[in-house]
Amino acid sequence: MNRAPLRFGKVLNGLVMSLIALAFLAPLVLMIMTSFKPEGEVLNPESVIPKNWTVANYQYILNWAEEAPFLQWLRNSLFIACSVTFLVVCFSSMAAFGIARLKAPGSGVFLSVVVASMMVPGQLFLVPLYLLLSKLHWLDTPAALIFPATAGAFGVFMLSSFMRNMPEAIEEAALLDGCSPAKVFFNVSLPLCAPAVATLAIFTFIGSWNDFMGPLVFMDSVSNYTLPVGIALYQTSYYTEYGLTLATSVLATLPLLIVFLALQRQIIESMASSGLKD
Amino acid sequence: MTWNRSRRLTGWAFILPYFCSFCLFVVTPIVVSLFLAFQRYDLTSQATAQFVGFQNFQDAWKDEYFWKAMRATLWFAALMVPSLGVIALAMALGMHAMAKGRNVVRAVLFVPAMFNVAVAGILWQWFYNGEFGLLNFALRNMGLPPQPFLSNRDLAMPSIVVMSLWWSVGGASVVLLAGLQQIPKSMFEAAELDGARPLAMLSKITLPLLKPVLLFVILTNSIGAFQVFGQPFLLTRGGPELATRGVVQYIYETAFNNYRMGYGAAMSWLLFLVIAVFSIAQYRFMRSSAQ
Repeated sequence: MNRAPLRFGKVLNGLVMSLIALAFLAPLVLMIMTSFKPEGEVLNPESVIPKNWTVANYQYILNWAEEAPFLQWLRNSLFIACSVTFLVVCFSSMAAFGIARLKAPGSGVFLSVVVASMMVPGQLFLVPLYLLLSKLHWLDTPAALIFPATAGAFGVFMLSSFMRNMPEAIEEAALLDGCSPAKVFFNVSLPLCAPAVATLAIFTFIGSWNDFMGPLVFMDSVSNYTLPVGIALYQTSYYTEYGLTLATSVLATLPLLIVFLALQRQIIESMASSGLKD
Repeated sequence: MTWNRSRRLTGWAFILPYFCSFCLFVVTPIVVSLFLAFQRYDLTSQATAQFVGFQNFQDAWKDEYFWKAMRATLWFAALMVPSLGVIALAMALGMHAMAKGRNVVRAVLFVPAMFNVAVAGILWQWFYNGEFGLLNFALRNMGLPPQPFLSNRDLAMPSIVVMSLWWSVGGASVVLLAGLQQIPKSMFEAAELDGARPLAMLSKITLPLLKPVLLFVILTNSIGAFQVFGQPFLLTRGGPELATRGVVQYIYETAFNNYRMGYGAAMSWLLFLVIAVFSIAQYRFMRSSAQ
C-alpha cells in the first residue's frame, strides 16, 4: 500500500488544526494586547502589538472606584466562589459517604430523586428562588448566591458513584479497628476520594465564578455585584472605551486562566469523561 | 460493609446538610413554581396571589411576544446545535488524527470555555460593533463595505451563533475526542487490512461507535441552546426589533422588570415542556437510527 499520501494527509491535518487553534486563541491575544494600548491605538489598530505600551487603562480601573468598584467586585466574586466551593465539597462528600458507604436506609431512593432533579432546567428556578430568597431577606446579600448553589446535584451524583466503584476493604479495616464513622470519613474515605473531590472543587469554582444569571437577578446594589455582572454593567455605560472594558475583561479572566494553566490536564480530562459514563 | 443498624442510621446524619439544602433550594422552588403558574401574582399590585386556573397558559398562547421569543429561541437552537455538532466532530476527528501536539490543540480549543459570558460578550461586541468594531475595521481596510453584524435583524442571530460556537465548540470536541479514543485501534487496523477507504471507515466504524457520546453532546447542548440568555442579552439586548430575544430573556423581563411572577413561572413550565419533548424525541431518534 502506498503510504505517501497518508503521510502528506497527516502533515496537512496537523497544519490545519494548528491554524484553527491559533484562530481560537486570537480573541484572547487581541484582548490582552489591546488592553495595553493607549486610546488612540485602540480604535485605529495598525498592529496587534501595541506601539506605545501603557498601563493607563489598568490604573484608571483600579483607582476609579465609586461607580465601578472593580476591586470590590473582585472581592465579592472570590468570596462567593470560595464559599460555594467549600460548602459544596463538604455537603456533597458527606452525603455521598452516607449514601455509598453507610448506606443509610432510603438513601438510594434519595439519590435517584437527586439525580432526577438534574433534568430540570435551571431557568425554571429563577422566579420561585427569587421569591424564596426575598422571604428569607437574602436578596442582595452574598447568601443569595452561596446557599442555593449548595443544592447542586452533580457533586453528590459524582462522588457517590466514585465511592461505589472503590473497594470497601480499607474502610472496613478501619472500622474493625474501632474507628467511628466520622473518623473513617475524614481519615480514610475523603483522602481516597481526593481526585474526585478536586475535580468537583475545580468545576464548582469555575461555575460560581462565571455565573451570570444569579447575580443579575438576585443582586441589586452596585457594590454587591460580582465581576461578570459588574463588568457587563460597565460595558453598557462605556461601550466605546474598549481599552477600559478590555482591561476589566483581562482582570476578570486572569484568575481562571491561571487555574486553567495549572490544572489544564485534570480540567479537560474530567470534562472529557463526562460523556463516557452511562 | 459490616455497618450495623445504628451506624446505618448515622448515615442520615452525614446526608442531612445536603438533604436540607436540596429540600429548600430544589424541591421547594419546583413546588412553588408549579403553584405560581396557576396564580396571578404581580409584585406591583397590592392584591395578593390569586388562583386563576389555566389563565396564564391561555395568555401565553395568545401572547405574540411569547411566540416571537419562542421563534427566536428555536432559531438559535436550529442554527447552533447542528453547526456545533458538525464542527466539534470535525475538530475531534482532526485532533484524533494528529501524531503530536494533540493535547496542546485540545487545551487551546478549551480556553474560550474559561471565559465568562460577560467577558465573551464584551469581546465580541468589540469585534462586531458597526462603527468601531474590529471586523468592520478589517473589512474597510480590505476595501469591503462594513456589515451591520448586530443591528440587522437577519444578521444578528447568526452573529450570536458564531460567538456561541467559539465559546462552546472546545468543550464539545473534547468530549467527542475522548469518545474517539475509546474506540479500539484494532478495529481500524482490521478494516484497513480489508482495504476499507477512510470515508467508509468513518461511516461504518467511527460514527456508529461514537453514537452514544454524540447523543450526549447533542442532547446537553440542545438543552443549553433552548435556555440561551447571556449571549443575546449582552450582545444585542434582544434586538433589533426583538429578533434575538429568546424565551428565557422574555421570562426574565416579565418577572423582574414587570414583576409578573405567575406569568413568568407559567412560561418557564412551557419552555420546560418544549425542552422535554425535544430531548425525548432526539433521544428516541438517535437511539432508533443506531440500530
